[in-house]
Amino acid sequence: MIKKVLIAKPGLDGHWRGAVVVSAALRDAGLEVIYLGNQTPEAIVQSGFQEDVEAIGLSILSAGHIELVEQVIEKMRQKGMEDVLLAVGGTVPPEDIPRLKEMGVHGVFPPGSKVEKIVEFFKQERN
Amino acid sequence: MNGNTATSSGIPAKTVYTPEDIKSFDLQRDSGLPGEPPFLRGIYPNMYRGRMWTIRQFSGYATPEETNRRFKYEHDMGGTGFSIAFDAVTENGLDPDDPGTEIDVGRGGVNVCTLQDMETMFEGLPIDKISTAVIASPFSACPLSAMYFALAERRGINLRELDGTSQNDILLFTACCHIPATIPPRHLINLCVDLVEWSAQNLPKWHPVSFASYNYRENGLNAYQELALLFANAIDYIENELKRNRLKIEQFAPVLSFHLAAHNDILEEVAKFRAARRMWYKIMKERYRVENPKALAFRFHVQTSGSTHTYQQPLNNIVRIAYQVLAAALGGAQSIHANSFDEGICLPTELSVLISMRTQQICQHESGATVTADPLGGSYYLEWLTNQLEDRAWEYMARVEAAGGLVAALESGWIHREFFKAMADYQREIQQGLRKVVGVNCYEMEEEPYQFPVFRPNRGAAGIQKAKLAKIRLERDNDEVGKCLSEIRSATERSENVMPAVIRAVKAYASLGEICDIWRDMYGLWEVPLLKME
Repeated sequence: MIKKVLIAKPGLDGHWRGAVVVSAALRDAGLEVIYLGNQTPEAIVQSGFQEDVEAIGLSILSAGHIELVEQVIEKMRQKGMEDVLLAVGGTVPPEDIPRLKEMGVHGVFPPGSKVEKIVEFFKQERN
Repeated sequence: MNGNTATSSGIPAKTVYTPEDIKSFDLQRDSGLPGEPPFLRGIYPNMYRGRMWTIRQFSGYATPEETNRRFKYEHDMGGTGFSIAFDAVTENGLDPDDPGTEIDVGRGGVNVCTLQDMETMFEGLPIDKISTAVIASPFSACPLSAMYFALAERRGINLRELDGTSQNDILLFTACCHIPATIPPRHLINLCVDLVEWSAQNLPKWHPVSFASYNYRENGLNAYQELALLFANAIDYIENELKRNRLKIEQFAPVLSFHLAAHNDILEEVAKFRAARRMWYKIMKERYRVENPKALAFRFHVQTSGSTHTYQQPLNNIVRIAYQVLAAALGGAQSIHANSFDEGICLPTELSVLISMRTQQICQHESGATVTADPLGGSYYLEWLTNQLEDRAWEYMARVEAAGGLVAALESGWIHREFFKAMADYQREIQQGLRKVVGVNCYEMEEEPYQFPVFRPNRGAAGIQKAKLAKIRLERDNDEVGKCLSEIRSATERSENVMPAVIRAVKAYASLGEICDIWRDMYGLWEVPLLKME
């Protein structure tokens, strides 16, 4: 089961409410959470690699989700982090959800997502 | 059966209210007529008969050219004010060619980095007749406002006649949302107050700060906490200016302005707007002994509450927004931004903005809400609730003061913790079904019942903005820019007002990033206490 998660906001988008509420819920559920705040995709992946996290959650409300996630996935590939669970939350239009999943995102949580579902997602068993 | 036994802010309410509930209410002392102290019933005797509220849609995306087209569209559709939504790069005081900014350029708003961008954005728009709200962070507010002032001057507008607002609220971008490239609040407040001070002396019609309790509310605070932080913040600005011994309160209090939320609970929101007017009157009159009637009257802009709008079944948001606009109208707002129904999904499309503007126009001309001033005044429930909100707001304000005042409470993380507690509670209430949200925790649908257009920002914005900036850097007089920038530094070092130097710099086409770099270099970046939540 996943024990250590990194939550971050790629880029400069300042809306922290979702990321912090989710971080707290994950902590309450017994996970170790590193809340990184705003960082570049490169710095997020670097932290995730150093901290040896099993999952990364990105909160994006800037409309830059496709490009930011592309960059994060590319950097994760370079570090051999293909087994790390990746989730995205924020203002992702419905039609972009399948696209993010094709790109390799495991879970997408738009506004109104139930926090317990997000916790459940991060606590899932990994093979 | 209705499970609600309390207002949206958790104030327990009875089944019915009678004169018993407002026994101590004194018509002369507590209410007065519209246009008369304590302004409970509105700031003008005839309210909307004399002047309709300003339809001011908060707008901006991609490049100044594209935003100019949106502004023109809104103007053509009956908009009566402009309000600039900048992107995160601009709010952070960065340039589009700063490393790591590329994806954010033009995304959540428009990118502006020089006076040329400001000129482009308002090309062909009558800014001598229509006021603009420059929704700038406290860090970028001096240079961005200076760009707008320089634009007006070049158009031949007398600055003493220039009408508009700078947001310039210290809480908004340090606690409500967070700009990572900002300096610590104890230094930031000096820039905020510089703009207030300079405007009060030179632009009597300009509002150099608009305290944005809208955003505090969006972070989960309730209605009376919203009021409390609003006034705690205003008092902190006032105290910081008075400390300087340069201006008397009568000279700058009239230019302070306010930006409140319109949340879901219609009557509670109306009560809040009314309580705000009475509280401000008391703060001015009793705490600061102000006599100037302009300073005693609480003028405010309202934005419908984005956090109440849902991603699910988004057309329902049109209804939420309409109720919220109605609350603002019944509460006597001077200016309203009606959000767009698609804001949980994307930046507003032209279609969703049009519906928001029509929502306001229907409220103005069809609903009957504007026929008479303060139409709900005298309702037992409303007057009782107004008193409740005021009493509770004073109590919460005392807690902010006990935490050391606003800037201290900000730097210590007290405010972030209050926001966090409030948003966690709000979320828990939704999860547990105590707070109903149609389409989210009741009346849910497996599949979205309809399709709607999604706005796609121009991915080329960063390239365009970078190229323009490169050209400006090549063509401007760089010696002059260098001189202007060092003037800003020495004014800051000598604790002089930075505005005259900032205005000279923007006129020489110094960029926003170049100006803000001076302050970043002097004070360093702020480590937001959000990261140390425990």
